[in-house]
Amino acid sequence: MIKVETKSFIPIYEQIKKEIKNRISQGIFKANEPLPSIRELATQLLINPNTVARAYRELEQEGFIYTRKGKGCYVSDNSSSLVKDDNLNLLTQLIDKTIEEAKKLNLNPEEIKRLFEKRLEQAWGSEEERGKE
Amino acid sequence: MNEVLRIENLSKKFGRKSVLKDFSMSIEKGKVYGLLAKNGEGKTTLIRVIMGVIPPDQGELFYKSQKIKFNETSYKKEIGYIPEESIFFSWMTIKELLNFNASFFPTWNAKKADDYLERFSLEKRTRIKNLSRGMKLKLGFMVALASEPEFLILDDPTSGLDVPTRQDFLKGVIEEILEGGTTILFSTHLVHELEGIIDHLSILHQGRLILDQDFEEVKSSVKRVRLKFDKNIPEKLELEGILTERKDGPCKELVFYPWNEEKRERLQALRPASMEIESLTLEEIFISFVS
Repeated sequence: MIKVETKSFIPIYEQIKKEIKNRISQGIFKANEPLPSIRELATQLLINPNTVARAYRELEQEGFIYTRKGKGCYVSDNSSSLVKDDNLNLLTQLIDKTIEEAKKLNLNPEEIKRLFEKRLEQAWGSEEERGKE
Repeated sequence: MNEVLRIENLSKKFGRKSVLKDFSMSIEKGKVYGLLAKNGEGKTTLIRVIMGVIPPDQGELFYKSQKIKFNETSYKKEIGYIPEESIFFSWMTIKELLNFNASFFPTWNAKKADDYLERFSLEKRTRIKNLSRGMKLKLGFMVALASEPEFLILDDPTSGLDVPTRQDFLKGVIEEILEGGTTILFSTHLVHELEGIIDHLSILHQGRLILDQDFEEVKSSVKRVRLKFDKNIPEKLELEGILTERKDGPCKELVFYPWNEEKRERLQALRPASMEIESLTLEEIFISFVS
């Protein structure tokens, strides 16, 4: 179920876009499958249909979904690779921000790298172990 | 322009208290307007003047470009009005009330009325005097929607309702928008409920309209800026459009309207150690404008 938070400072249409992209990346929405209609989503989320329409319009312009005349919106063929690129971009921004903070704290690249590796190990096991999978 | 309602230079006093001061506003067809104001700052007065419940001291109203005289009723057939507290003849049964309204509104949709009765679990033979406050609110909502209004005015309709019933209300409002063309003026103190619904935001403060703009535009032009300084914290910022300002040790927090690139550059020139820019929720935007 797609959810939006009306007490958030993130615009609702951005939240809808993000929710749909997440579902594409998790494989819940698959290529060439239909998305919920604007009517369905608007009455379920209690938001203005124009807001849903805007989210869908932008997702279409960005290539994630396409419209079939009179039938509604569908997930694009290459949507999952687009979402992957999107996620990598997002992660790059987060890493840049972290590096910026680390600089202010006078940490050097070697220290940052070591720390990063340690956190990855915590999450997924050591590099050797990851290689075995 | 496709204008449903125009209010020109409206003034209204109660005794010595001036509630609306030279107030002007235009409402465009098919849009959803959020009307926000603090308590006692003229929201309900404005709506009552629009509905011809009370006369203005000065000013004019135009409905679809036609000037409205006080006591005129014809334009009200196209308006669905949901006040905080609907007043009905308490001796009537729901069925009698529906017949009564059907005779007044030429566009009355009996099927829609029946659908809502079922959704709200109201029975036609119940007498209005036996209904609870919440049920009366539902009835008021249903009567307003069943008249297929071109223009729907909601004056804090969800106050005092439980969450599921409020959601039923909002769903009804969304369905009206989906049917197309309905213009809505929505006033509520549950501000966050408007976040996903409105196209346009109007803030009434001390009798005047201090904000009247497309909501997406408002969202992108009101920004909160957090500045942190290592040294030389500037005492006063010579910048226009600061809505609120707060100092907390080496940090300064400012809300700007309208925010723009020039302001960002000028703040950057003060060489802060860090600068964060974020958007605000509708609730925060409202507070920033009226505090």
